[in-house]
Amino acid sequence: MSRQIQDAYIVAATRTPVGKRKGAFIHTRPDDLLAHVLGRVVAQVPQLDPARIGDVVVGCAMPEAEQGMNVARIGTLLAGLPPSVPALTVNRFCASGLQAVADAAARIRLGEADVMIAAGVESMTVMSNMMGNKVTLNPAALEQPETIAIAYGMGLTAEKVAERWQVSRADQDAMAVESHRRAVAAIQGGLFRAEISPVSVRTHRPGADGTLRISEQLVEHDEGARADVTAASLAKLKPVFAAGGSVTAGNASQMSDGAAAVLLVSERVLREENLTPLARFVGYAVAGVAPEVMGIGPVVAIPKVLAHCGLTQEQLDWIELNEAFAAQALAVQRELGLDPTRINPLGGAIALGHPLGATGAIRTATLVHGLQRTQGRYGMVSMCIGTGMGAAGVFERV
Amino acid sequence: MSSPRLTVRRAAVLGAGVMGAQIAAHLANADVPVILFDLPAAEGRADALVRKSIAGLSKLQPAPLVTRGRAAAIEAATYANDLARLAECDLVIEAVAERADIKHALYAQVAPHLRDDAVFASNTSGLPLASLAEVLPERLRARFCGVHFFNPPRYMALLELISAPHTDAALLDALESWFTTRLGKSVVRAKDTPNFVANRVGVFALLLTLHHAQAQGLTPDEVDALTGPLIGRPKSATYRTADVIGLDTLAHVVRTMQDTLSDDPWHAHFHLPAWMLGLIERGALGQKSGVGVYRREGKAIRVYDAASGEYREGTGQLDPAVAAILKERDPALRFAALRASAQPQARFLWAMYRDVFHYCAVHLAQIADNARDVDFALRWGFGWAQGPFETWQAAGWRTIAQAIEADIAAGQTLAATPLPAWVLQRDGVHTPQGSYSAASDSLRPRSTLPVYERQIYPETVFGEAEPRQGETLWENAGVRLWHRPDLDAGIGILSFTSKAHAINDAVLDGVQAALDYAERALDGVVIWHEAPFAVGADLRQLAADCEAGAFAKIEAMVANFQRTALRLKYAQVPVVAALQGMALGGGCEFALQSSERVFALESPIGLVEAGVGLIPAGGGCKEMALQAAALAARTANRDPLACLQPLFMPIATARLAANAIEARDRGFAQAGDSVVFHPREVLYVALQRARALSASGYHPPLPARAVAVAGRDGIATLQMTLVNMREGGQISAHDYRVGSALAEALCGGAVDSGMTVDEDWLLAVERRLFIELLQTPETQARIRHMLDTGKPLRN
Repeated sequence: MSRQIQDAYIVAATRTPVGKRKGAFIHTRPDDLLAHVLGRVVAQVPQLDPARIGDVVVGCAMPEAEQGMNVARIGTLLAGLPPSVPALTVNRFCASGLQAVADAAARIRLGEADVMIAAGVESMTVMSNMMGNKVTLNPAALEQPETIAIAYGMGLTAEKVAERWQVSRADQDAMAVESHRRAVAAIQGGLFRAEISPVSVRTHRPGADGTLRISEQLVEHDEGARADVTAASLAKLKPVFAAGGSVTAGNASQMSDGAAAVLLVSERVLREENLTPLARFVGYAVAGVAPEVMGIGPVVAIPKVLAHCGLTQEQLDWIELNEAFAAQALAVQRELGLDPTRINPLGGAIALGHPLGATGAIRTATLVHGLQRTQGRYGMVSMCIGTGMGAAGVFERV
Repeated sequence: MSSPRLTVRRAAVLGAGVMGAQIAAHLANADVPVILFDLPAAEGRADALVRKSIAGLSKLQPAPLVTRGRAAAIEAATYANDLARLAECDLVIEAVAERADIKHALYAQVAPHLRDDAVFASNTSGLPLASLAEVLPERLRARFCGVHFFNPPRYMALLELISAPHTDAALLDALESWFTTRLGKSVVRAKDTPNFVANRVGVFALLLTLHHAQAQGLTPDEVDALTGPLIGRPKSATYRTADVIGLDTLAHVVRTMQDTLSDDPWHAHFHLPAWMLGLIERGALGQKSGVGVYRREGKAIRVYDAASGEYREGTGQLDPAVAAILKERDPALRFAALRASAQPQARFLWAMYRDVFHYCAVHLAQIADNARDVDFALRWGFGWAQGPFETWQAAGWRTIAQAIEADIAAGQTLAATPLPAWVLQRDGVHTPQGSYSAASDSLRPRSTLPVYERQIYPETVFGEAEPRQGETLWENAGVRLWHRPDLDAGIGILSFTSKAHAINDAVLDGVQAALDYAERALDGVVIWHEAPFAVGADLRQLAADCEAGAFAKIEAMVANFQRTALRLKYAQVPVVAALQGMALGGGCEFALQSSERVFALESPIGLVEAGVGLIPAGGGCKEMALQAAALAARTANRDPLACLQPLFMPIATARLAANAIEARDRGFAQAGDSVVFHPREVLYVALQRARALSASGYHPPLPARAVAVAGRDGIATLQMTLVNMREGGQISAHDYRVGSALAEALCGGAVDSGMTVDEDWLLAVERRLFIELLQTPETQARIRHMLDTGKPLRN
């Protein structure tokens, strides 16, 4: 069924540091974050004429308000790319950034384009309500048991997963502690340096005599990781989503702001421009599960993508498995028998943050640079998706 | 009328401890910008300690701030860096540690920065003002005095105002007026004697209670059962109060009494029992250390047993004979029976009262201007329902006096000092002409300061002249419409006469008839009565009709309720709701639909129907829908749901707005409404507002015809939160049903979103949903449980 005519290669991948919600990027617009990474990723391949970019695909989970109006096109124009370069925004909630990579790769693989940018952006500062700018639910959703979980908050679905897959509070907290430990070590070890493009943030404050006081600050590191997280400190937090539950603010992903972009080219352009690829795009799959246990989504997506690529999970050297909640990440890991030592070696979303639609692109950047550094071969980015889906993308260092 | 005026554009409080910070908070509550000073921090920001103290205000209970945001009105400052800012302040209150050397040093430091026309006041609880004034330069002495707040200062009514030797008399009058109206305090003038009035008597009363408890072999839990609400004292009674104050703090106060009151005839009794000192020694200081006389163990509270040194289960058993005596309504008989009884608990109570009476009689001349001031000091500063003198007088002045004399003669009193001669020459201290002043041997009438003209019905002590009742214009079994021709003959005062001012059929019919009367013959109406404003619809009547299955009758009653509310809203004369105390459910709905509201600050208000499984159906949901539509019309998206969302959960969970300021944020108070800090001034302000509305050509609003509602999508969206709570086990299925009904009523029924409806439709929707809920067994069980226990049932 495949009509692939050529491979797609990632030749550049970069991201912003991930800010805590209302943290470093409290006054930075998401379209500016996007323009920043689009500009940087193009600059990383100076020999390539930007006019050759066939399309810019940007993932965003809440594409409205400051990140609405087809934020992809806004960001592309703000980044100074030629007006001839088109752009579209895609939305698959938490997999939007990965979806963008897959869609961009697909256009190359089908021969429809030779140069593509895939990106992701999300500011949970401006989109502080998980349900978007204007929350509204279709009354029909509440009328039948099959659809009522459309109304479920993500935390509640995590409780359902914890209950059904029997993930204890202690195990969830332990995963959170480990996530922070790894993230802090990675930041201190400079392991994100290759993938991060620091952002200079300008702040406009009221100054003296009616003039503005403008300050600039360079944001270089992810903001969410904490060195002081312990099992004891996490144990003190109260479950918020269910009476007698186990999901807390400490063992769930952080709300964050961030953006990432990857530049993909065809084999032909690789040769013509003599570019060194970071990785080859191998495959992508997405699949649905019941919305009330949305966190289990990767359990169907991962086998699907591996089968499609003809790989086994033992061949994966590095797995970026998004920690939306420790409960679902552990349930997925156990259900599939994934090797925990290969999962999130630099920490996960509990420590590093989860700017929804940006995460897929951010972790792709982490993965391809990580495979380069560790000389691993195959790697995967996977995550669960609100309202019940899972996505997984596989990459190969070449 | 005009009171001597004090203008406070900005105030400063020196000392960011528990009292200083809370005084600053209450100034901020009253919209007074305030600078809070303390020592600079050893490291980091100089004002770090003060900032920490301000931040800590949000965590204190009961809350010192009316809303969290109020903290922004308090600026942090330090003696090291910011003293020059004192020049901006019209009022500076010192609230540093109770040590003369510390205060003296501070006064020397701040004095050069105080303006000549500023007021400098000390919140000392017992140091002599005369000695504090001495360290001040001449120019400031006339502007210096004592203002003694009680903890917690926002909630304790009492403010003792103490003149220093050179304080300007007019300034004291101005301060008394300002503290009364602006901060809502009830002022007692105290003489400059150690511990002033309230603490002098109140702390002594505590000590002698401890003494007699030991003498009669009573345990702390027994004493607390006896000395709490049963005898008109606060729930914390004696030992629990000591735990709240802190045993170490109490010991400090007692030590001060020992030092400063060496010639007090009761001096020998100024000490704590040895076992209590033992508790302090081992760090059991009361509430702040988690253990004191009482210790909380999980949900149980255990009490210290001095004999074994262990904490045991507290039973606090009342002797049945003593309980029977305390049920006696006639105080003369009650006291006679207490005195005659041989039961240790009765002997304890008699001795406790007797020695307080004795103490107050002996010290009256020295500590207070008159007996009324002593009684009010104990009511307002210690939460006693009656002060010592009025308790005595109510029990029969002469009989009690003779009994005290006899006990003195028998050597049973704590001091042998004879009663002053005046005691036996009188029949009481409070008379219609005034209260007795022992110092001047005369009757002192009430203060003639103009500020008290704002208290049309002031608090009175037993034996004082009864206030003028006004002339009745119309009345039925539920309401009385009356007026005070001496104040404003044209404004009617509509008072509910039902129990707790619950709204029953007689009240509904009465309100409508009274409004008919007012439209014929008056310029305006004020709804006012003593607190509470109204506890809502009469649940007992509702439950009885419900059990009889008389739902048609109930529906008619609800319709009548709605009709009454519409009469309030569309009356041709202004209707001003004067709120003090609780305004729950139907009471809140009446207030919402009045022309304007005047709130006493501490007036909890809310739509709490969900607590009994119902939704507001007296126009409460309708008013919220109207408000949301009006607010939304002024926004870009014109989305009424966005304006309803913040209102929804508090109503769904029956959460009250704790005070009048919070009521604004919750949609229960409107921009033009007044917030009055002293509850006794509410009626005065309401009469003024009604008159002003009438004078400005009052007419009712047009009926609401095209109200954009949130409709079907809005209901589903509000239900989304409920779904998550139900699935997360945080609410019951019936909570979900009640919440869904509320969502439907607030969203204007299950019409398409953005549809416009009229007021009658909104009323019909809330009425239908109310009746549907009432027909469920779960709601009926909630109502029954509330009537039986006074507490909500979670089913």
